[in-house]
Amino acid sequence: MTTAIKQLFYWMPFLFGIGFIAPLIAQMLEYWQVSAPWGLSPVMFGLLIGAPWGLYATLRGRWL
Amino acid sequence: MNEMTTLQPAVALAPGAGDAPAIPLGAGNELDAHTRRTLLQQERAIARKYTSDPKKMWPYTVITLGCFALWLAFWPLGMMDVLPLWVGFIASTVFAAGGYITSHEAMHSNIGRPGTKERFWNEAVGQVATIILIFPFSMARMMHLHHHYYTNDPEKDPDYTDAAPGKYSAWYKTWLNRQPGVDGSIHHYKRILERIGTPAAKAALRDTMILQLGSMAFFFAMAWSGYAMEVALLWWLPRHIGLSYIRFWLSWAPHHPRTGTGRYDNTRVFKTWIGHYLSMGMQYHVVHHLYPEVPNHLTRYAYREMKPLLEARGVDCSALKD
Repeated sequence: MTTAIKQLFYWMPFLFGIGFIAPLIAQMLEYWQVSAPWGLSPVMFGLLIGAPWGLYATLRGRWL
Repeated sequence: MNEMTTLQPAVALAPGAGDAPAIPLGAGNELDAHTRRTLLQQERAIARKYTSDPKKMWPYTVITLGCFALWLAFWPLGMMDVLPLWVGFIASTVFAAGGYITSHEAMHSNIGRPGTKERFWNEAVGQVATIILIFPFSMARMMHLHHHYYTNDPEKDPDYTDAAPGKYSAWYKTWLNRQPGVDGSIHHYKRILERIGTPAAKAALRDTMILQLGSMAFFFAMAWSGYAMEVALLWWLPRHIGLSYIRFWLSWAPHHPRTGTGRYDNTRVFKTWIGHYLSMGMQYHVVHHLYPEVPNHLTRYAYREMKPLLEARGVDCSALKD
């Protein structure tokens, strides 16, 4: 149980990228009426940014 | 003859506080035992005048619960476009940073001592005030009391990770310490609690886990339901700004350069252009570390009375004339 929770917290930045940053980017695009590039939907574009960014934060230990 | 009058002759022993003593005395540790004891008695007499009276601490409770209720109301109001999100954002940021101040009084039981009828409100304030910060009261209280016990100890002071050579690096560090792979802020607190390992520490870790996972579940559910902007402006950004503000003003500023570990040199008296209220009363933090039972809003007045005694102890009070 403890190991599972520690793993969950370890991967939390990645989950945060998918769970929060991706939809936030999508909704910001829609709010400012900006089209996502390459014909992507706002959510797909959000996931394309949020998931790798979260993965980067998980592996490197920093968001920037 | 009251207590202060009785103690008056000893004040004269303090350098610069009246007639010069027959034998010149140094400051701080150079004072003889009798003088130190007398100064301490005088200090305590002043502190007693300003010690929190839980019956008069109700504004802290009203403000905390009122702000929390407002913050809860911001969610439906923001989601229904009744409240502009920027208004909610500014207010939530103030609540996030200010909440720590009221919680801090609860950490020291200043709103209600154990075993009194005010205790319920003390615990209620503590539990509610730092929810926006995703910082449970049990962890906050344990870590803050540890900070008091081990102030500026590089190994044992939970807040030592806020140390930075200058104000710009200090602001940067408030952000850096929250990064997932950096041993600072709440990550550092978790490690300390694991090391302590008592039932209370384990309970604090459990509370932290519940609050962190619960808030993340809320963030994700709200964001994927179309309310990511609301979460960002009512909780996520206010939390980050509030935490940085608190770390800078409540930890770095009053303890810089974190070299002293003694009773009279583990804080510093400083003056800032942003003033008393925006610095959250931290210019007088020395009084808080000496007498945590003096509530934040009274430390300024206690400092004014204690200043000659503090100077006699070797505290550099030159930054604040009053």
